[in-house]
Amino acid sequence: MNSPSEVTLYDEVINGFEKLANQASSDETSDLRRIRKQAFENFRQSGFPTIRNEDWKYTNLTRFLKDEYALNVPNLPVPTRLIDTARIADFDCYTIALVNGVWDKTLGSTLPQGVELLPMAEAKQDPAFAEWFTQNHNDRFFTALNTALFADGLFIRVKAAALPDKPLHIIHAYTAGTNLMVQPRHIWLVNERAELSIVESIVSEKGQTHIWVNSLTEIVMHRDAKLDHTTIQSAPANVRLVNHTTVRQKKQSLYNNYTFTLPGADLVRNDLQARLEEDHTETHLYGLYLAADRQLVDNHTLVDHQKPNCFSNELYKGVLLEQSTGVFNGKVYVHQDAQKTNAFQQNNNLVIGKKATIDSKPELEIYADDVKCSHGSTVGQFSEEALFYLRARGIGEAAAKALLINAFAFDVTEKIKHAAVETHINRLIGQHIPVTQ
Amino acid sequence: MGNDNEIIDNIANKEYEFGFVTDIEMDILPAGLNEDTIRYISEKKKEPEWLLEWRLKGFQAFRKQKLPEWQNFTLPSIDFQKISYYAAPRNKKKYNSLDEVDPELLATFEKLGIPLSEQKALAGVAVDAVFDSISVATTYKEKLKELGIIFCSFGEAVQEHPELVKKYVGSVVPYSDNIFAALNAAVFSDGSFVYIPKGVRCPMELSTYFRINTENTGQFERTLIIADEGSYVSYLEGCTAPMRDENQLHAAVVELIAMGNAEIKYSTVQNWYPGDKDGKGGIYNFVTKRGICKGDNAKISWTQVETGSAITWKYPSVILQGDNSTGEFYSVAVTRNKQIADTGTKMHHIGRNTRSRIISKGISAGEGQNSYRGLVQIGPKADEARNFTQCDSLLIGDRCGAHTFPYIESKNNSATVEHEATTSKIGEDQIFYLNARGIDSEKAVALIINGYVREVLNQLPMEFAVEAQKLLSITLEGSVG
Amino acid sequence: MLIIKNLHAEVEEKQILKGINLEVKAGEVHAIMGPNGSGKSSLASVLAGRESYQVTQGEVKFHGKDLLDMSPEDRAREGLFLAFQYPIEIPGVSNVNFLKTALAEIRQYRGLPPLEAKEFLKLSREKQKLVEFDAQLVNRSLNEGFSGGEKKRNEIFQLAMLEPSLAILDETDSGLDIDALRIVSQGVNKLRSKDNAFIIITHYQRLLEYIVPDFVHVLYNGRIVKSGTKDLALELEEKGYDWLKEEAREKAESI
Repeated sequence: MNSPSEVTLYDEVINGFEKLANQASSDETSDLRRIRKQAFENFRQSGFPTIRNEDWKYTNLTRFLKDEYALNVPNLPVPTRLIDTARIADFDCYTIALVNGVWDKTLGSTLPQGVELLPMAEAKQDPAFAEWFTQNHNDRFFTALNTALFADGLFIRVKAAALPDKPLHIIHAYTAGTNLMVQPRHIWLVNERAELSIVESIVSEKGQTHIWVNSLTEIVMHRDAKLDHTTIQSAPANVRLVNHTTVRQKKQSLYNNYTFTLPGADLVRNDLQARLEEDHTETHLYGLYLAADRQLVDNHTLVDHQKPNCFSNELYKGVLLEQSTGVFNGKVYVHQDAQKTNAFQQNNNLVIGKKATIDSKPELEIYADDVKCSHGSTVGQFSEEALFYLRARGIGEAAAKALLINAFAFDVTEKIKHAAVETHINRLIGQHIPVTQ
Repeated sequence: MGNDNEIIDNIANKEYEFGFVTDIEMDILPAGLNEDTIRYISEKKKEPEWLLEWRLKGFQAFRKQKLPEWQNFTLPSIDFQKISYYAAPRNKKKYNSLDEVDPELLATFEKLGIPLSEQKALAGVAVDAVFDSISVATTYKEKLKELGIIFCSFGEAVQEHPELVKKYVGSVVPYSDNIFAALNAAVFSDGSFVYIPKGVRCPMELSTYFRINTENTGQFERTLIIADEGSYVSYLEGCTAPMRDENQLHAAVVELIAMGNAEIKYSTVQNWYPGDKDGKGGIYNFVTKRGICKGDNAKISWTQVETGSAITWKYPSVILQGDNSTGEFYSVAVTRNKQIADTGTKMHHIGRNTRSRIISKGISAGEGQNSYRGLVQIGPKADEARNFTQCDSLLIGDRCGAHTFPYIESKNNSATVEHEATTSKIGEDQIFYLNARGIDSEKAVALIINGYVREVLNQLPMEFAVEAQKLLSITLEGSVG
Repeated sequence: MLIIKNLHAEVEEKQILKGINLEVKAGEVHAIMGPNGSGKSSLASVLAGRESYQVTQGEVKFHGKDLLDMSPEDRAREGLFLAFQYPIEIPGVSNVNFLKTALAEIRQYRGLPPLEAKEFLKLSREKQKLVEFDAQLVNRSLNEGFSGGEKKRNEIFQLAMLEPSLAILDETDSGLDIDALRIVSQGVNKLRSKDNAFIIITHYQRLLEYIVPDFVHVLYNGRIVKSGTKDLALELEEKGYDWLKEEAREKAESI
């Protein structure tokens, strides 16, 4: 860990905990207060991760931790224009918005049938909260910090067998006049046989002040439940996103995740963990990261096969422009019990920028024998043959490269189930190419 | 597969073939490690002052280093003070001819199938044999000398070619590289030394056989191979140790230097004592092997067949400094019972148009844990660098594990890296197909495994490939059943 | 239209073209024949601007401009079209998007606005019909999943869409069955006019029964060793290439 005295943010957290804890805890159960205290203690000991920690080997936080951040969310006018930038044209959906992690009902609150929403601040009283709020005492780093300090977020409960007519679009808008660190915390429960599609957009205002979002989402998929979960990260360069998502899958549930990271936020770290706790589950993880400038985009995924007969498939593709750095670390873990596991993982990278870097670490850890597992990772450039073919048809070099980047991304974008969302993503990609070296 | 259990039992019950102890009089330094130990070794070997200084620096580095934590197994605690750092057959230090070698010792090497006596030697293999810490015999020396090739024990090289040793020792694996390399620098006892002059193609395979015999000893040999411009050498290394209940440490260092247009092929068949079926005893094989392609168009190729040791932990690596240089790594690692292997390679692409190829085949049986760990690193100046990695794991039985941890780091937008890995059970339908053609399961599995590892064994020189194949079928005999 | 003078080129430091001279005028069809490895496809690659080929000597004028000085895309925009021997598959790039982009870029180069979506669709239907190419192009990636014949027909369809002044057909007949060969040839014949020209590279005389050339050239060992009319193609069909090789060798020896 960093020596604490070097890190302003660390000191701020340590010194500010008492005060923050008092603000939040008036309506909290003693259990939650105990958990928070333990998490705080864990964070106090671990501090922020350094590159000496294997999971942060390629993601050096030093330059981001130098800034000071306020931990209190300020009261600011609702940024309606910012929220509008996140809307997706022709997307027939229910839309809600969170400002700095707090659900703002003035911006639309019609909900799909069978879907119940609560601000986390209120959900703390709900019995389901106590049941599903993770009590992981070994947490360190950012997750421990979130548990210790979170103030609000979104609690979603999809009733058993609910089949909402339209997807739910959740816009996360972040805005602040000063440097700010926010800790949104979400719990989403998808009950038996229920099906839902959620699209999340993360946006923020361009500016000089830094916003650090340390978000934690816990998803529980009950028996036969289905969830399509898309995340679009297109925040500007002054934003740092550390995003942790844990999905617990029960029998025969299906979870699809699509994570899109676009140029902007100077630090993006996504930790996505699918824990297959019961048999016959299915999991698809698709990711596309298009990084530019000096951006650092780090995707860590874990598919934890605990029980037999589960299927998982993962495809992450990255395009690294300019001086950006991409990190991919995907682990497939197959427990001894998890016989008949099928697990596949693929990471492909297109390195365009002369000073771009990619660090890819696909991992298989397998303790069962009757399995089919494979992974692959590639680093490469445009196919010279394809480029020549396009140019021989009169398409200029830049346009040809743009076409090929789109084609490269296509394997992931085509997996999106909503045409409007796919168009939206393609438009966002288009904004950042043609290519500069 | 109906007879899975039987197969596993057979594997588990198969005993180590080379587990005998040679009864021979030894000079053994009492256990313990301090500066005096190092001075004692250095003095015994009549080393020049600079080498003692270098050893002492290694010892300083060793004391500062911590044991690593990133490996995929629990590192057993090693009491470095309980190891004896020097053991040598008590006899004349230097043998003028094979007739002077203790017949018991010669018999040991006979038993291991090592062609030590020249008249019985397999044509074209020159052998340097290291018994515990001391090189006991080098064959074909004269013939090699005519070509200007130096092939001798490390100790001899220190006496007779100090300028070469001084120039290159520690130039690829510095004494501060890691804790075991530092320990080796401090206490290394002997090893092999090879120098191939410019433009010379070494006409025969050079070979070293390592044998740990004595109780409570560690083996810390050091191998240094220099292939000067445009030369070629193929070098073979084999190892065995007797069965003992306690663990023994083998912390060797191998350094390879290939100048422009030179090629070094380094092959290992490692069959150290793996411990018994409950994991008692066995060798800790913690070895640092690294080569550098110093000049343009140089090539270094590592081939390893790892069947022994309680824990095998090593990453034979290549630094691809020269433009157009090539690094290769071919590996078969077998773990059964409670054996652990955490092995792989590192390819550091520094020069332009450098190439590397990695083929790794893991076989896990019983409760064996087999990890491939590999680093492919492309530097900003390694334009047009290429890597291809294929890593397959085969599982036999439901209590073993197969793990793959590749690290790919590229800082160049003209490089191409491809990594593929698969893990699966040995194919039941393949076995069934062979059964249906009248082949019993034992032979079927042997056939399948032979096919599975062929790409690696093909890299070995003929005599070694045969030996490796035999070793594999012995190791997996019963899988086999 | 096209004047090639003393063209020498190499690939990976190996001399492939050793002094090609050829003039192609508007309205003409030239066939280039020759045994395998004679440099036929290399000539096509050099003309289209493939980067792995280095021109070491000679010049090529296209409509009076220095062709060798241009990027591959500018050659295409100037009106040169290469029908590839092995059209590449590009997953993720849709046929339609690809053609639209190509057409728009070529039109822009010539100072024309891009076609409206409707006009493009109309044109593309017309041309598909013209070259009897009925493959479903919408929602399919470029050449992906196309059979060998479909790929070649897609090349001729693109030729029809882009309306080049000079088209080079690089072994378009290879791998085609007799029906596909007929369809491809008919397409080409329909596109022939007094304003455009074709260079047809082929190993066999078969294609030339359908597309009748004005001139036939035989390429051997990097040089045009014989030129003639379509009768030369028939002679080659009958006698094979060996007598030419022999002739060329004798010629070389006498020098």
